[in-house]
Amino acid sequence: MKKGLLPLLMIALFYSDSVFMVFFPENAFNGIYVPVPRFFLIGLLFMSVFFDRNTAIKYGFLFGFLFDMFYTGLLGAYMFFLPLIVYITSKLTKWLHSTLVIFFIIVLFDIALLEMIIYGLNVLVQRSEASFEQFVFMRLWPTLALNAIFYILFAIPLRNAFQKLKNIFG
Amino acid sequence: MPQFFTNKRLIILLGSIIILVALIGFSLRDRANITWPEKFVKDVTGFGQNIVSKPAGAVEQFFDDIRRLRNTYEENEKLRTHLDELAQLESDVTRLKKDNAELRKVLEKEESLADYEPVQATVIARNPDRWYELITIDQGESSGIEPDMAVITASGLVGKVKSTSKFTSTVQLLSAHDPQNRVSAIIQADAAIYGLIEGYDEEKKMLKMTKIPSDSNVAKGQTVTTSGLGGVFPKGLVIGKVTELVPDEFGLTQTALVEPAASFYDLEHVMVSKRAMTKVLPEEDRQQVVIEEEAL
Repeated sequence: MKKGLLPLLMIALFYSDSVFMVFFPENAFNGIYVPVPRFFLIGLLFMSVFFDRNTAIKYGFLFGFLFDMFYTGLLGAYMFFLPLIVYITSKLTKWLHSTLVIFFIIVLFDIALLEMIIYGLNVLVQRSEASFEQFVFMRLWPTLALNAIFYILFAIPLRNAFQKLKNIFG
Repeated sequence: MPQFFTNKRLIILLGSIIILVALIGFSLRDRANITWPEKFVKDVTGFGQNIVSKPAGAVEQFFDDIRRLRNTYEENEKLRTHLDELAQLESDVTRLKKDNAELRKVLEKEESLADYEPVQATVIARNPDRWYELITIDQGESSGIEPDMAVITASGLVGKVKSTSKFTSTVQLLSAHDPQNRVSAIIQADAAIYGLIEGYDEEKKMLKMTKIPSDSNVAKGQTVTTSGLGGVFPKGLVIGKVTELVPDEFGLTQTALVEPAASFYDLEHVMVSKRAMTKVLPEEDRQQVVIEEEAL
């Protein structure tokens, strides 16, 4: 019964991105800055480090697939890149000892990587005309700032949650 | 053994890149609506989204109400001045409506491009990665919504339905960057001036209206509405006001910058307009009508 808590937590994180968008006034800062919530990705990275990497890859694949279908309509993008980023992170944490402070930098690196990949993809399929400078100024910095705040607030609860789940799963 | 594993990884990587490219190619195809597995996934995800975002929306509404409560007095004053004009306007509208109906009866032309049946919908999600200007609403095929229908708020046109599933639909806003996002529009001058709403200027936050004949007299502040000629949009939905006019690169037509009447931000409740009059048939079902000139 308690094993159901893991999918429940991931579903909550999945919807938290869009619930954040409900509360966040979209033309804050006159629409100059576009911070993108990546709370699900942060949760997924915690899962890969403090729970189990292969489960995190599976979750990344499944929820990335849902994200593509439900929100963006561009199939395959998140489905492919979320597991890839989980994999890269697991390699990085192998030779960087994972305290929460070092993990903070890894998470920000991953978010920047995902943002850049998605930006590149959008330019490639001509869904966006923003230049790279515009992208960095409008999206990348605000996104990193927003998710850094989320990390600082939720890093310890998330770590504890995944460690507890690991005990439950044995 | 380690050698085998790296090979396996390489195969997985290459295989998934092929699948990725194939899927992206598939989703970029010019298709009328999404396939049934996508519809199914959308309905299931949309169901969860509904459960999550309706209470969240209610909480947000509550805080909004409190904020609004503070300037109720000023608002009340302003509204009272409008109220006097309203009575006159209302009687005018009823008279004109009656006139219109009677005249239509005389002409035996009862349907009009302007008639539509609004379907109320609530916005349940906005694309969190904010690249495509897509929102998801809680009404779908079961309430008769089809792709390409116009989506409006009380103040004007905001976008069109991109795809539908049984209980949700995805709406593409006018501010989206998509070359296929075109709306046939009229500038309401003395004689109607036709053009196309095509593209969005992100810096100025203005819609671009192109293909306006260069000899037409467009003035600032004139209202732009839909023309009803695009096939599925009803006629007369307000889009915005002309703010600036620039000749295009060849000088043959003009481009107007239109300030949108509706805000594309923080949408909560929208209406989908089902046009009452028959739609344009798909190309294979169309019948060609040849009008022969009478011989003199």
